[in-house]
Amino acid sequence: MSGNLLHRLPILRRSDGIGGALPALTLITLFFVVPVVALLLRSVTDPVPGLQNYATLFGDGTYARVFFNTFLVATVVTAVTVIVAFPVAWMLAIMPPALGSIVFGIIILSMWTNLLTRTYAWMVLLQRTGVINRTLMDIGLISEPLPLINNLTGVTIGMVYIMLPFMILPLVGTLRAIDPMTLRAAALCGASPFDAFRRILLPLSLPGIAAGGLMVFVMSLGYFVTPTLLGGTSNMMLAAMIAQMIQSLLNWGLGSAAAFILLLVTMALYALQLRLVGAKRMTGGI
Amino acid sequence: MIEPFLFIRDLRKTFGSFVAVHDVTIDIPKGEFLTFLGPSGSGKSTTLYVIAGFQQPTSGNVLLEGRSLLSVPSHKRNIGMVFQRYTLFQHLTVAENVAFPLRVRRRPDAEVKRKVTEMLSLVRLESFGGRYPGALSGGQQQRVALARALAYDPPILLMDEPLSALDKKLREEIQAEIRRIHRETGVTILYVTHDQDEALHLSDRIALFRDGRIEQIGTGEDLYLRPASEFVASFIGNSNFLPAEHLETVNGSATIRLADGSVVSGVRIDQDFSHGQKTRLMVRPEAFRLKPGPATAGLAVEFIDTAFFGERRRVIARTAAGQEIDVRPTSDMAQAHEGIASRRQIFFDPAAAFLFPA
Repeated sequence: MSGNLLHRLPILRRSDGIGGALPALTLITLFFVVPVVALLLRSVTDPVPGLQNYATLFGDGTYARVFFNTFLVATVVTAVTVIVAFPVAWMLAIMPPALGSIVFGIIILSMWTNLLTRTYAWMVLLQRTGVINRTLMDIGLISEPLPLINNLTGVTIGMVYIMLPFMILPLVGTLRAIDPMTLRAAALCGASPFDAFRRILLPLSLPGIAAGGLMVFVMSLGYFVTPTLLGGTSNMMLAAMIAQMIQSLLNWGLGSAAAFILLLVTMALYALQLRLVGAKRMTGGI
Repeated sequence: MIEPFLFIRDLRKTFGSFVAVHDVTIDIPKGEFLTFLGPSGSGKSTTLYVIAGFQQPTSGNVLLEGRSLLSVPSHKRNIGMVFQRYTLFQHLTVAENVAFPLRVRRRPDAEVKRKVTEMLSLVRLESFGGRYPGALSGGQQQRVALARALAYDPPILLMDEPLSALDKKLREEIQAEIRRIHRETGVTILYVTHDQDEALHLSDRIALFRDGRIEQIGTGEDLYLRPASEFVASFIGNSNFLPAEHLETVNGSATIRLADGSVVSGVRIDQDFSHGQKTRLMVRPEAFRLKPGPATAGLAVEFIDTAFFGERRRVIARTAAGQEIDVRPTSDMAQAHEGIASRRQIFFDPAAAFLFPA
């Protein structure tokens, strides 16, 4: 917002353009670009120069499993997030603005709450003797505790919860731009509510789903805290593996190579998103 | 009695304590072009929305060929509708938009194709099938909306101020299209507008709404020449209302005294007035003449201003009582022009004037 405002003032743009951004640029170079380059160098020099670290990562079944697992978790989390977020976003889009801003406030507030706190809260809820299992057993729905933690279920629940705002916010924007009259028109054309959703609402909201989905997917790929605390050892994700390689195994070369691969995949997906958003602009939001 | 085609019976819709539609009853024959005319908030759109199924009435019924529509959801009513804003599906091409109602009805491909071609030629957009709505002008988009609404041969077409987003020239162009399409398809059209010219131009009959009730229903001529109330007279066409006192009525013909003291007799009335009752005499601007005719009444005025409008000249005149009136004489244009700032008499036929209670 303020950035746009500054750009509208030509004098500021000309004289302060580079000078004003200098501290931030320095910071990014020192603490981001330099470490990334160092990481890349380490991955091809440690312990000896060559691509052997990458060969190990791609050749070993154990590492391949972690890569697969990472993509599996990110895919499942993204899919579940889309399904859960859509009705919420739709409700927010058609809600009276006053009520909508209250619900928005609740969503934003949950984003500001400490990540660890929220993840530990899920541990309390999901464990064998946790609130959910005990309640279900008390009312007689189950006789044995459900395995809700230390597996894919736990990771999915915990991460979907954290990712929801990132999906809801772009989706609400897209849905608000859809004229509700369009759906009435579809109804009078003979479309049942399901037809109207499948043929009209869903295609029209695809840009929002794509933007939010890609963001959630990219964030999920590199997630560390939630998978570590709520997931089991059998479905380790990439970030956790990198931490283990560097902290426990002290294998800096291998860890760097894995981190670099993660960075490349993330950047590739980000580039894809930019392309999609760019294409959307060119066709006027279709 | 013949079963009415579309019958709106004692329709009532309230929002809290606000009565939006007040026991409206209309009988609409097949193939009619009926316009709901009225100021905003007069209940015309609400009535249309009840027919479309977007709103449930508080009481009353809507019957199509004798069967109630109220329990039928919108998507099963088989009614066509064109909206105020362009509600085309932006992610579908023009042809796919027109095909949409046929696709959801699972019609065979060949039929869909044939019907889309037929509809696009009906609205004269044959070559636009492959375009997206975003690439069309407002007028073209409304024509696509019209083609989409007619693609499944609905018995009734609802139109909710479809031209209000268009500029004047386009409006007239699409009005002509709508008249032609009505003629060619014979579909029954219920049309909502607040624009009296549009209503007069398009409709077979006009239902004039006011505060949730129908003030008068009839042809444009009925409403213009035989207004049932002062509201109708002032809403349809331009009118001058001269304060007058009712003196007596003989055989449906009233004698009144105007504010300047002149007495006019032969005013047509269709309600009872008492002696001395305050009334208002309505005279259409074009009912004034610059020369006296047989049985005309005179009115002393002063011409203040004239403006030229091509086919006719508009004169602003002031009566002896100080009231400004609108005069649009059909002839004697040169005279009207010469006569600025001059006192003179203008004339009108009392039989073409109307008396309303003040």
